[in-house]
Amino acid sequence: MLAYTLRRLWQFIPTLAGVVLLVFFLFNWIGGDPAYLLAGKIPNPETIANIRRQLGVDEPYAVQLWIFLKQILTGDFGVSWSTNERVSDIFATRLGPSVTVLIPLLMISTLLGMAAAMLVAYVRGSLTDRSVMVACTVAQSVSILVYILVFQYFFAYQLGWFPVQGWGVTFADNLFRYAVLAIVVGVAVSLAPDIRLYRTFFLDEINQDYVRTARAKGLSEARVMWVHVLRNAAIPIVTNILLQLPGLLAGAFLIERFFGIPGIGREVILAVERSDFPIIKAVTVYVAIATMVVNLVADLLYKAIDPRVQLK
Amino acid sequence: MNTAARSLALLLLSFAAAASAQPEGKVLRVTFQVAETGFDPARVHDYYSGIVIEAIYDTLLTYDYLARPAKLVPNAAAAMPEVSADGRTYTFRIRKGIYFAEDPVFKGKRRELTAQDFAYSIRRFYDPRNRSPYAFLFTGKIVGMDELAEQAKKSGRFDYQAPVAGLQTPDSHTLVIRLKQPDINFPYVVAFPLTGAVAREAIEAYGDESPSHPVGSGPFLLKRYVRSSKIVLARNPGYRGKTWNFDPGDNPRFKQIAERMRGKRLPAIDGVEISIMEETQSRWLAFQRAETDIEYQLWDVAPTFMTDDGRLKPEFVRRGIQLDRTVDAEITYLAFNMQDRIGDTPNPVGGFRKERIALRRAIAMAYNVDDQIRIIRKGQAIRAQYPIPPGVAGHDPKYVGLIPYDPRAANALLDRYGYKRGADGYRRQPNGEPLVIRYTSTPTERDRQFDELTKRALDTIGLRMEIQKERFPEYLKAQKQCRVMMGVAAWIADYPDGDNFMQLLYGPNIHESNNACYDSPEFNRRYQRSSQLPAGPERDGLYHEMTRIMETDSAWLLLDSRMRNALQQPWVVGFTKHPVLHVEWLYLDIDPKPAY
Repeated sequence: MLAYTLRRLWQFIPTLAGVVLLVFFLFNWIGGDPAYLLAGKIPNPETIANIRRQLGVDEPYAVQLWIFLKQILTGDFGVSWSTNERVSDIFATRLGPSVTVLIPLLMISTLLGMAAAMLVAYVRGSLTDRSVMVACTVAQSVSILVYILVFQYFFAYQLGWFPVQGWGVTFADNLFRYAVLAIVVGVAVSLAPDIRLYRTFFLDEINQDYVRTARAKGLSEARVMWVHVLRNAAIPIVTNILLQLPGLLAGAFLIERFFGIPGIGREVILAVERSDFPIIKAVTVYVAIATMVVNLVADLLYKAIDPRVQLK
Repeated sequence: MNTAARSLALLLLSFAAAASAQPEGKVLRVTFQVAETGFDPARVHDYYSGIVIEAIYDTLLTYDYLARPAKLVPNAAAAMPEVSADGRTYTFRIRKGIYFAEDPVFKGKRRELTAQDFAYSIRRFYDPRNRSPYAFLFTGKIVGMDELAEQAKKSGRFDYQAPVAGLQTPDSHTLVIRLKQPDINFPYVVAFPLTGAVAREAIEAYGDESPSHPVGSGPFLLKRYVRSSKIVLARNPGYRGKTWNFDPGDNPRFKQIAERMRGKRLPAIDGVEISIMEETQSRWLAFQRAETDIEYQLWDVAPTFMTDDGRLKPEFVRRGIQLDRTVDAEITYLAFNMQDRIGDTPNPVGGFRKERIALRRAIAMAYNVDDQIRIIRKGQAIRAQYPIPPGVAGHDPKYVGLIPYDPRAANALLDRYGYKRGADGYRRQPNGEPLVIRYTSTPTERDRQFDELTKRALDTIGLRMEIQKERFPEYLKAQKQCRVMMGVAAWIADYPDGDNFMQLLYGPNIHESNNACYDSPEFNRRYQRSSQLPAGPERDGLYHEMTRIMETDSAWLLLDSRMRNALQQPWVVGFTKHPVLHVEWLYLDIDPKPAY
């Protein structure tokens, strides 16, 4: 296992190098010159040159790339070009709100998804199964924007169950008041694809020989499903959840914008709008590293959950 | 604290802030539709940060809340400046007894605002390290300062102690500014919010973090700050206070305001809570749920709450919602690149040859500004006829533009100047070469609507149009480098004087604010004369001539000025949108709110 882990860690390097080169050249190619944004309403060429010099974007590409590499090695991405705030501070202050929404969202969505998927897998081919699958297909084809607009209108505005938007000062206030509607929207969006995906995992297991054996041994259906099938289907489900996590952190920007949640996704969009390269660089590298680490953890968990799995 | 420990502390704080970070009492709740960038006056470049800065810092001068057109009045200055006979020297006497808000940098002592603070704050605009976006307010104006900035560029260090002939403080409460040449608009500069006084010790103590640690002497102070999400201001307990005593004139709305507000000690409210809400639906629903008190930025949903004649719909009137409707001190315009070449390529719309002027004019005549106001602005704009918008000194409400909407005449004009249609139905240049009009815009939904209207206009006169999409920073860059053949631009007043708009067409401002890259000797000569004149009939006459020259050359097609519809909850008292001030929080009050 140690050798496998070390080999996988070693493979991080070329993958990360590819990500770094891609983001570096993409930004320099299509990212836009931030100097013109920062120079104000009436810039003159001298002001533009001064800003470019201070930001370091007038340096040769090789020098800029070297600085980028040093930033990755030291973990210090400097300061935001538009706000002067330290990039590490930006991520530290945005992580709390993002996690406050995403962890409950993932937990609820996973539990509901697994329960529903197991049920429909158990009665596969029945009217219930087919009805749920049709409903999931319809629900999945609706844009997240529609969910947000409709839920915000009905639950916050019409029914007044939640604030339309906002973020409070205490953790309890945020979790139980401001984040609730965002979590509900997140669950509504992810439930349908989760059920469809998890159903296939359960179906794969239900057809296995060990399930037939368990039934032949006289085990109750509940025990077969909840102990044997669930345990084996949990392996790809855990992998799927872990793989979703880094993308969700940065990708929840629509939910964060509409509900006024000061999370990482909203910050990333702001950075893109402002051509704020230090933040874009940092988020890309963080997400890439998180994805690789999560992949590795998922594989190791695979082994922990099912000792028959061989890591090569 | 090292970076890791600091990040960990911030991470823990990000889950919850101290509950005491909320002001109590009468708190006004408003929204920004774009996130701020920080509150260091010399370093910010965006409008929304400027709003907060205006509430926290004191400028030398400000504007009378109700006087229209906008009128300057003293603020931190005890009186209006004494101006020398040659118009080059301004002497400001600073009001005594103004103190900065309490802050740890002052180590428990009261810190009085002095002339040196204003001198230091002005110097900061010249410091290259601050890369101040509003340095243009001072650059080239104060004797000796540009030279100091040049030295700093060479040495890498700006000398804040160096004596400068143009910026002197003979005593702690007198500031003398000597200009290189007379500038009648200079008093407007020192009323601009970003020229508010900072304390040197605060700037030096907070260093690079000064944008999130504003320390001013104005009516409010920063109580809680979650960047890009929530800005909470509390009344500055050490603020000297003002008394509401503005003259409402004959304006019935102002008279009502005066009746409710006269004699009140300002600020009458205890704080302001600003939420950053980028999405219109969130802002609109939050206002309707009474989660916010004033909402300015609802252009997209205006037909939902307003009648076609610009009044509030009855259901909102019944709820006591108030509407304050003003025209923003801004213009939008379609700018043609007036240079003969764009880079190495000939520019088919540029230059002063008759056929080029005819082409630009035909395009302007084919563009339907009324459709723009109806479709894109949803009726919330007025047609701009003059380069100077209403509410700005020099505006001529009677002026009627030379260029009517008339596609038929536009077609005839192109026929007359030899732009013949080819087999494909599109016109070619008079010399027979293909003609493609390249229109540049950004990839936003709003700009897509502009693209469609422009394409429709050019189709009606047989011109082939190519749309070039650039992200906003690249669009700005292309504009400043005179690489945009045709595109829409906008200008919002920095101060309420026509000069701020007419300079957009002044030749030497090419690569800076002159987006059309227009360089007309006739226009330039008149502009130079006008810039030395105070507002009045002589200058208005020059502005009239300059506008005719611009229209004759067809450098711009003037488009519109947007309406600002400020909705207020029934309990907001004393609000009216000022044409120049960014915010009115200092001048209003809140009645007790009913349970919603």
